This record gives sequence, C-alpha cells and structure tokens, in this order.
Amino acid sequence: MLKRISLSDKIVIVVIYILLSLLAFSALYPFWNAIAVSLNVGVDTAKGGITFWPRQFTWENYEIILQDSRLIDGFLISVARVIVGTVSSIFMTALLAFGMTRTYLIGRGYYMVFFVFTMYFSGGLIPTYLLNRSLGLMDSFLVFIIPSLISVWNMIIFRTFFKTLPAGLEESANIDGCSTWGVFFRIVLPLSGPVIATLALLTAVGHWNDWFLPSIYITNEKLLPIQTILRQTLNANIVTGQSAVLDSASAALLQKTKQITSKSLTMAMMIVVTMPIILVYPFLQKYFVKGVLVGSLKE
Amino acid sequence: MRKMRKPLLVMASLCLVFATLLAGCSKSGDTNKPDPGTAKNEGQQQKNNNTTANNTDGKWVLGEKPLEFSAYAHYNNTDFPKWESTPIGKYLSEEKQVKINMIAAAGAHTQKLSAMMASDELPDMIWTDRDHPDIDRLYQAGKLVPYDDYLDKYPNLKTWMGDLNLLRHDDGKLYRFPNWYSSNPFGNAGYVINKKIYDELGKPKLETTDDLYDYLVKVKEKYGDSIVPFEPHRAQDMQGLGVLYTAFGEGALYTHLSSGLRAVPKDGKLTSILTDPVFREAQKYIAKLYREKLISQDAFNQTEDQVLERVMTGRVAVFAGASPTDFAGEAQAELTKTDPDGGYFMIWPIHKPGLDKNKIYPGTYTSFGWNAAYITTAAKDPEAIFAFLDWYTGPEGMNVQFFGPEGKNWQGFDEEGKPNFTENYDPKEVAEIQSKNNPVMFVGNTSYIDPAKYKYMANLPFEEQDWRTRYQQTITWPTQYNVTEFTGLNPAAESEEGIIQASVDEMFLEIYAKSVMAGSDEEVDKILDQGQKDLVSLGYDRLLEWRTAKWQENLAKMNKK
Amino acid sequence: MPQATTEQPRPPAYRQLKAHNKSLIRRLGKQWDVQLMVIPGIILVFIFSYLPMYGVLTGFMDYNLFTGANIWENPWVGFKHFVAFFNAPEFERLIRNTIIISLLKFVIGFPAPIILALMLNEVRHMMFKRVIQTITYLPHFLSWVIVAGLTMAMLSTENGSVNMILQQVGAIDEPINFLSLKQYFWSILISVNVWKEVGFASIVYLAAIASVDPHLYEAADIDGASKFKQIYLITLPSIIPVVIIFMILAIGGLLNAGFEDILLLAANPVLRPVSDVIDTYVYRVGLGTHRYSYAIAIGLFKAIISVGMLTMANYLARRSGNSLW
Repeated sequence: MLKRISLSDKIVIVVIYILLSLLAFSALYPFWNAIAVSLNVGVDTAKGGITFWPRQFTWENYEIILQDSRLIDGFLISVARVIVGTVSSIFMTALLAFGMTRTYLIGRGYYMVFFVFTMYFSGGLIPTYLLNRSLGLMDSFLVFIIPSLISVWNMIIFRTFFKTLPAGLEESANIDGCSTWGVFFRIVLPLSGPVIATLALLTAVGHWNDWFLPSIYITNEKLLPIQTILRQTLNANIVTGQSAVLDSASAALLQKTKQITSKSLTMAMMIVVTMPIILVYPFLQKYFVKGVLVGSLKE
Repeated sequence: MRKMRKPLLVMASLCLVFATLLAGCSKSGDTNKPDPGTAKNEGQQQKNNNTTANNTDGKWVLGEKPLEFSAYAHYNNTDFPKWESTPIGKYLSEEKQVKINMIAAAGAHTQKLSAMMASDELPDMIWTDRDHPDIDRLYQAGKLVPYDDYLDKYPNLKTWMGDLNLLRHDDGKLYRFPNWYSSNPFGNAGYVINKKIYDELGKPKLETTDDLYDYLVKVKEKYGDSIVPFEPHRAQDMQGLGVLYTAFGEGALYTHLSSGLRAVPKDGKLTSILTDPVFREAQKYIAKLYREKLISQDAFNQTEDQVLERVMTGRVAVFAGASPTDFAGEAQAELTKTDPDGGYFMIWPIHKPGLDKNKIYPGTYTSFGWNAAYITTAAKDPEAIFAFLDWYTGPEGMNVQFFGPEGKNWQGFDEEGKPNFTENYDPKEVAEIQSKNNPVMFVGNTSYIDPAKYKYMANLPFEEQDWRTRYQQTITWPTQYNVTEFTGLNPAAESEEGIIQASVDEMFLEIYAKSVMAGSDEEVDKILDQGQKDLVSLGYDRLLEWRTAKWQENLAKMNKK
Repeated sequence: MPQATTEQPRPPAYRQLKAHNKSLIRRLGKQWDVQLMVIPGIILVFIFSYLPMYGVLTGFMDYNLFTGANIWENPWVGFKHFVAFFNAPEFERLIRNTIIISLLKFVIGFPAPIILALMLNEVRHMMFKRVIQTITYLPHFLSWVIVAGLTMAMLSTENGSVNMILQQVGAIDEPINFLSLKQYFWSILISVNVWKEVGFASIVYLAAIASVDPHLYEAADIDGASKFKQIYLITLPSIIPVVIIFMILAIGGLLNAGFEDILLLAANPVLRPVSDVIDTYVYRVGLGTHRYSYAIAIGLFKAIISVGMLTMANYLARRSGNSLW
C-alpha cells in the first residue's frame, strides 16, 4: 500500500524517536549500572564512581548469593507459584468478568458494588491471617494461589475490554447453537489476546515480586519462594550493632566479609531476582500485535 | 493470524485443566491437614524434652538431654541465619543436642509478630530491643517468663552482669536477658581527621571549637568544593551534629538529644532541651558551619553509601559520628595502600574554650549493652532455655562462640578465667568463626570476652593491631559516658505519654533540622522558641514530668545496691 | 400498592410477592449458566474479603492483639481513634499534602503512560519498538530504595550530576540543595514516579491500542489524515473506555499518595511540611509505635473518603456510557 507521509508527520515521527530513545536510555542506565556494580569488588564499589563498567571485576558477589542451596528450590517454588497463580487467577477472573458483562445477569448491579467495596475496605492483616490459618493455608502452597484467585481490579479491566468486543459475533455464535460458556471459550477468550497477555503479565509480576505473604504464612523452608529466601539471606548478613563488638583483630581480617554485605551484594541480589521476570515480557510482546481481532473475524 | 489462535486456545484449555486440578488440590489440602498451623512438629519434640527434663529435678546441663526451641529476631533488617549454618550451631546441634529453629520475618517483622500474637503461636525466644513496644505488649499480656527463679541455679548472668535491678519490669521481676552487657565503657563516638589534609595544612592545633572552626575554614579555602570540611554522617539520626553538641558543655551528653530522653537533667528534674543554653549555643555554632558550607550540605538528605563513598576516597577533612571508626577503619586500609602517610586518625574530643576537656563526652553507653533475649510462655521448658542462654553467656559459651570448641584454638583457663590460647591458634579461622557466629550471639558478655580478646591482642605488635582498636584504649573508651540511669524512659506506646512521645519525636526532628539550616543566630533562637511552644502544646511538659519520675526511680534503684 | 389492590383485588400482596419470587427463581434458573460464571467469584470474594471484614470494627475499640479473633472482648471506645487523628497536630497538613501530591500524580502521572503508548504506537520499526517497550518497563522492577539512592546521588550538592550540568551550562552559580528545599520536592517526587512507572503502566494501553481495527488507519491514510488527526479520531476514541475506567479507579485511589517513595525521598525532616502524607504518618506513628487500632481507624477514614470519591467519579462517568456499575 502506498503511504503519503507529509513533512509534519515526518517531524512528529523524528521527535517521537528521539523522546523514546532518551526515556529508554534513562530507564536502562540504572540497570546497566547495577550490573556493573554487582560485578565489582565490594570495597572498591564503596569508593563510588562506577558508571558503565566494573572497575575491579569479580564474580564474588554472585557466588555468595548463588551458593545458598535453598535457592534452587526457591526458584522452582517461585516459578510454580507464578504459573499456577497466574493461570488460575486469570481464568477465574476472566470468567467472572465475562459473566458480569451479560446485561441480563440478575443482580449484576449488586454484584458489582459487592466487588468494588472490597477494593477499599479490608479487615486488615490480623483477621485475614486468622482466617487463612483456620482454612489450613498455613505452610501450604495454596496460600499463594487461592486467596488471590479473584482480582477485582483485573475483573474490571477484563470487563471493560470484553465490552468493546463486537456484539454481532456473539449473536451469530448464539444462532449457531453456542451456549454462553461456549461463547466465552470459543469467541471471547481467543479474541482477548492483548488483554489476557497484559493482565497475565501484571499478575505474574505481582506473584513473582511478593515476599510478604510467604514471610508471614510459610515456615517450611521448602515452600519459600526465591524473593523471601534472598531477603532472609541479606538480613542474616547484616547484623546491626552486632558487628561493632566483634574482636577487632578479627574485624581487620574480616574486611572481606564486611565489604560484601555492601552495595555490590545488594545489586547482585537485585539482578538475580528481577532478571527472570523481566525476561518474560519480550516473549509476551507478540500478543500485542495488531490485528488479532480482525484476523479472527475474517475466518 | 491463524497462528495466533492456537496458543490462546492452548492457554485456555490449560486454564481449565489447572482449574480442575486446583479444585482437587484444595479439597485434599483441607482434609489432610485440618489445622497444620497449630501442629508444629517442633512443639511435639519439645514436649518430649519437657517430660525428660521434668523426670530429673536436677539442673539442666548442656548436652545431657536434647533441647529444641524456636528463636526469632524481631528486627526489620535482621534475621537469624539457619542454626546449623553457623559454626556454633553446627557444633551444638551435632555434639550437644541443642537445636534452634529460626523464625525469619524477612522484613515483615511488625506484621509477623502481630500475627503470632493474635494466633497465640509465639516463638519460644524473642530477641529484640530492651524497650520495644511489642515486648511491653507481651509483658502486659503475661506472655513472658520471668527469670528470677533460675538466676541462682544458673549463676553466669548474675555473676557477669552484676546489678540486675534496672533491667527489671514494674512488677519487680526480670524478663530481659541482656546482650553485650558490660561493666566497662565501650563505644566509638568522636572525631576522625583526614591525615593528608591535616599535614598539608601544617598540623594546626585542633582542641577547641574555635580551632575546629578555623581549621574547617582553612580547608574550605584551600580545597574548595572538592573536599567536605565537616562530614556529620547521617544528620537525621543526629550523629555527628550531636557529637558537636557535647563540645559545648561539661557533661552535655549525646543521650540528651536522643528519643529515649530528649531532655536535659537539671537539679533532679528533666527540662526541655530546646531551652537549654548549651544546646542553643551548639545549634548556633552548627548553623554557622552549615551556613558557611563547612558542613556537608547534603547532611540531612544523603544515603549511607554517599557518606561511605566520601570517606573511602578521602574527600572529607573531619568526620564525626556515633561510630566514625567503622567507615574510617575501612577507608584507612584502602587509603594507606596507595599513600602510606594518608588515611585517618582520631583526636581527643573537641571542647568549647574554657571547658575541661576531660569532662567532654561525645559518646555514651549503658551497662546493659545493646538488646535483650526474652523467653515466652510458649516455651515448653523455659528453664532449659534459660539454662542454655546462661551457659551461652558464660566463659565456656563465649569462648566457643569466639574461638571455636575447646581444644583447637584454646584449651583450659588461666588463673583469671581467661582462655589459654594454644600453639595451633589460627587467626584466620578464628576470624571466620567469629563472623559466622556473630549473628547468633544472642547474649554476648562483653565483661568477659573483651579482656579475653585483649589477652590475645596484647601479644600482637602494634602495626598488626587493627586501626580501630588503637584509639579505643586511648581516646574513645575513656570519653564515653555511662547513661544507664537514663534507660527505660519510654512510656508504653498506647498510653497518653506514649502518644505524646510519638508526636514530640516527630516535631523535634523537624525543629532540629530547621535550626541547623537557619540563616542567622537570631533565627536559630526564633526557631527554637517557636519549637518550644509547639512541643509544649503537644504535651512535652507532661512527658518530661513522667520521665523525671521514672528517672528518679532508676536513681533510687541504683543507689540501693 | 394500595391503588393496585383496589384496582385488582384478586391477587393479595403476599401472593404477588410469591409470584415475583417464583418468577425470580425461574428467571435465575433460566440463566443458571451465567450465574455459574459469577458465583465462584462471589464465594471466593466473600470468603477472603468479607469474612475478615469484622476487623474494621477494631478501629472503634482498643484492640488487644492477644484476643485474636475474639474481638468482642475488647472495650469499645467509639470514635476515640478518629478524634485523635483529627486532632493530631499534623492532621491539616497531612490531608493537604495527601490531596496535593496525589492530584499531581494523577494530573501528570495518569496521562503519561497513555502518551507513551500512543508514541510507541507510531513507531513502525518493530525491533526498535520492542526494545523501547522492554526497556521502559525496567524501572518498575527497581525497588524504591535503589531509585531513591540514585535520585539522591544525582541531586547531591557534591558531585551530583544535575548540579554539575546546571553549573556548566551557567544556569546556576552555586549548587542547589534540591532535596532540602521545599519548593522542589513535589516536582522531584512526581518526576521520579512518572519515570519509574510510565513504561509499566503503558502496557495496558498498548493492549487497548492493539485491539483497534487496523483498517481504520488504512482508510485514514488513504484520506490523507495527519498523524495527529489519526490519533485524535481513531486511536483515542478506541481506547477511551479503558481510559475512563482507569480514571474512575484512580480517582477512587486519590488518597493513596504513595508511601515508600515519599518516606525515602523526603529523608530530610525539614521537608515534612510538604511531604508528610496520611500513609507515611500511619507508618511512623501507627505501625512504628504499634498502635493497631489507630492505624485501622485511619485506614477506615481513608476508605470512606475514597468510596465517596469513587461514587462521584462513577456518577460523572455514567454520561459517557462507561462506568463501574
């Protein structure tokens, strides 16, 4: 197809490219810097001035973090949590949202108020904790999954997207003898690639980043996700006030241990924890390609 | 476009499969484990211990019977490492049947303990600050185990700590097992000077506040913006600026500024810090330094990293703080690598001209050390836990924690009770043992271990001694002041005084920072006058009254012995 | 009703009701399949959100943690904690700062990801687009501690890059102490926030834009419509439902001015008059000193105001045909 690009459009596009590049540079720099710092000797890092490249290269910081044998288990738990938690929550929430878009649904208005209310009012930590405990969710993998099956926020977004789907599709499906569930599975879900991908990503990030839930509900080490393990590791290394009373002769010898509980170690930890989830995004991007809807319509 | 549909369909069907799987999971989970929360396996094991312990009514002796309990560090940024991952834990669990299950909050400590309180599943031992509001809660609820019955049976704490009266709660019972208690002064507060700059400026006299001012001006003139003349560490915690306050009065203490006191004692009464002439003079001096850019302009909004960076690269001329030797010690090693004449040294604390320099105390300490260990009623056999802690804090326990099990690095005791170090003493191994045990030293005994450490240190040539220790004997320790009488002056968080304290603390920091940034001496006075008014309207007077009464009680208790 | 009975005396009121019920049940029975879609969600939300809801009552009590779920054992104190909050010396400035900061975050932070998404949409170069998308999403994963550390280093008066650049350009003679001067705080806070979250927040809008029918653009191209016109006439109208819903939700969240960012960036207590918001206050005074009931009461206060604002926003949005309920 021929495109006539006017001068003003060209200028607009150039400006956009420049702005985006600037933003991207500013967003990339802290990560680049973090990687450089994490690959630098801790004591040297304390002198500052590390920008793009490490000054005294070392793998030491990563070695310390990765030597923890629990990390592999933690990683697997995290991955399992992200997959099971995301898939089940997205499915349940999408189903609910689809139901909520049916205008003939009896009680729809009440349901909506019922859901939205919970976005603002909550009983607080203690009652929730006691409830989960009495449900047998303590020290159980399911505590990561079941309480967060329904996300009201995601439901609202799903609903908004579902509403924009052409009504004609459904009618024709109904005529073809499709039940409401059939419409959901065969038409609505397949047409909702971008929104599913988006909400799945947001949910997955939430599951991956959460360290709080396990630190309250999980005591069984085998069930701890990687985030919580790493926080514990870091916390066990920084003992406030305690090191001041160390034998000073040893303290001198121990400069090595002291330096590693430094910025370099923290950064190495940050990289280890965030990399896996960051890498998910590029793989999801293909679901944002235009034309999903139209392509399916034509069939 | 067709390609797109497949993965989505696969995803959808996966959803279904998972949904059914999940339904199955949750059901089986419910039936198999009716309430796993209460069925802690450690509890059962403890029961076993309990029965065995009760059968013999003799003393608990380490290694005779298995001991297992849970321990929890109630701190935001501190968790105990796994017991077996520390040398002492490995030794004790393998050889002496002592197993400790560490409970970690990973940063959610407030919520974690709240949840444990609400569900009544407390850890057996809690390790936290002496006056922590949560400990007060546990005490009010009767969830703490008093140690009084065990004190004579297991005498190490009593022997080494001495007077325990001030550690007692209102009911006269002892619930706190102090950590790093000491009868001798300790602490590192003071001033560290950049040697290279000092030499280049002709080694001027640095004794009084006037000397210091002149010196800082010279630094500014000579080096301009490349050097920070006076680095007060993080000023929100008052650190180095608080150290300057102590220069203006004999007996003016850093503690006067701290949240736990925030007052100046005068004739047996605690009075407002803001009306104290010494404080006002100090604030005017500090404000002048700040105004003339002699103090780091970022003092109130910098991170530890930024401070460390400046100290490490020798970009500060004078560095003051509650423990400036930590950073300076690390920097010393780095800076002297390239320039043997560089680095830092400590000076005797600065004083205002006319004052007695031997009555200036930049730092303070209490005989109780740092924090405390508490045993809760959740413990099945509190006596055994106490007995263990008592062994842990005694000479044998301390030596094992610091130098490893008897036999390798040390063997037996000398006539003073200090360990005899062997031929095989391996400084490297000892250093590693100490650093790894460090996080699980629950009940450190400074009174015992410091002389023991110095027994070994004394044999070392001066150069091999750590930079930090050189000044402890000569400068820092003699200039730290014992403020044990001012401990325990925090009202309960939910009491009226507690609420007043919270808002006074809030406001004070603001007033303090404002007065440092004031444009003139008059403005300092104005800010402090207004601040005094504001604090009084919050109920500051009432708080002072309450604290005066408590403080007098403390003094009475101390004089009783 | 009375009129109805006079006109049609036969079916008495209770029968009418019964008939109505019957028809309701019949109607429900007819749409069992749809109801089945929403009922699991309702049950889950009921269990995990409504069952613990009794906790809000502790805001009216002096809650003792050791009572656990038996909250009735605690003494009722009525509105004591609310009154204490309203009378707190900081109250006025807390409310003011909360509203100003969250309004600024809304006015600037809300459109920013939309603009980014629109800009990304104009990029034809697929590789470039993907790379930019991925990179701008990175800062979301940095913890506030790291971001605040970087910001403080950048704005430092000693070797801070911002001051150095400004001095080199000649815009200033002396370094400005940005993080201890009240007039700069809001701009710094908002800019850092936008920078951190813009990429991540734009993902939803990208998804919305991805659902726009490309034929519309083709037609517009043929008509010779300029880029701006296309955005204005095609893209924006297509994503408006999502934008409106997000706007309603954001208005409901206006009392959440942020917490960690403010706590870390406003390290200097001098800034409190402009930086202290409800959440930082609750953190310091409520959690910091462990006044559980007090914190709950403040949370409740916030929730009530939020729901009020949400309802208002929803009411206004109804005109556009896009509302929550």
